[in-house]
Amino acid sequence: MSSNQEPGMGSYVGIVIGLMIIVGIEVLLTYQHLPVRTLLFSLLCLACFEAFVGIMYLMHVKYESPLLFWTIFPATLFVLVLLNYVWPDAYRMARMSLGK
Amino acid sequence: MSESELTMSTGHEVLMEASPYRIEKKKLGMWIFIVSDACTFATFLFGYGYMRVGSQNWGTPFDFPTILNGIIMTFVLLSSSLTMLAAVRATQAGQKPSANKWLGLTITLGTVFAILHLREWFKMFGEGWGLFSNPTGGAVQFGACFFSVTGLHLAHVISGVIALLIITRGYNRGRYDTSHVETAGLYWHFVDLVWMFVFPMMYLMNAR
Repeated sequence: MSSNQEPGMGSYVGIVIGLMIIVGIEVLLTYQHLPVRTLLFSLLCLACFEAFVGIMYLMHVKYESPLLFWTIFPATLFVLVLLNYVWPDAYRMARMSLGK
Repeated sequence: MSESELTMSTGHEVLMEASPYRIEKKKLGMWIFIVSDACTFATFLFGYGYMRVGSQNWGTPFDFPTILNGIIMTFVLLSSSLTMLAAVRATQAGQKPSANKWLGLTITLGTVFAILHLREWFKMFGEGWGLFSNPTGGAVQFGACFFSVTGLHLAHVISGVIALLIITRGYNRGRYDTSHVETAGLYWHFVDLVWMFVFPMMYLMNAR
């Protein structure tokens, strides 16, 4: 029941090739021996971008009712943000193991 | 019969109000499942992050051959998303032979992904890796995190392959229609997108 404005298969091939290129960039970044935090931030940003493109185009959210997007995503994002409560304790554990 | 047609024919406009999302019930149900499953995967990945940050001797055990295997698995899974899109398009156009071809290819690629994954696992078991063992002398939690996260994803891929086999069989017998294939496709793309996080977090972040 999605709308008829969906792109053709050619566009989908382009999107998937684009995602493959991003995976290639991720691998290249990994072997640049960047600091762990920089690498983690870069990989997470690229993965989030891939997920966004995938959700919008491959999973057709862009072509569904906007209500579906606004019902699902803010709530999911809220849960994902709340999960960040674990980090202070993780750093506490790291400091404890260093004896600080 | 669509939901709106059903509303009109029964005359129970209040009871049978059309979905505000303008999608079929099974697709909405799949979206709700996807959201809950995304939270499950996120919890596993956050748990992994927690243990990694909290451990001083985590280590980076993966050599390039392991990363290369991960790259191949990623390309196989991304290709399967494309074949799934082609299958949905073919079912929408009513082209049964074409739909069968693309669904078959998606199932094959999903199976190849699972085989590559299991091969990697058994290689690691052979090297002494386990849920509670780390042959490199690093944090023992590595095995628990790696096998839990990748195992959860592998279970989704295998479930997806089984679901696609059932859907394909039902579609050929006229029991299932385009909407069933679309809904299965939604799940398949989700499994693909989860891997876009699992690969960099579990493989690339642990590359030597």
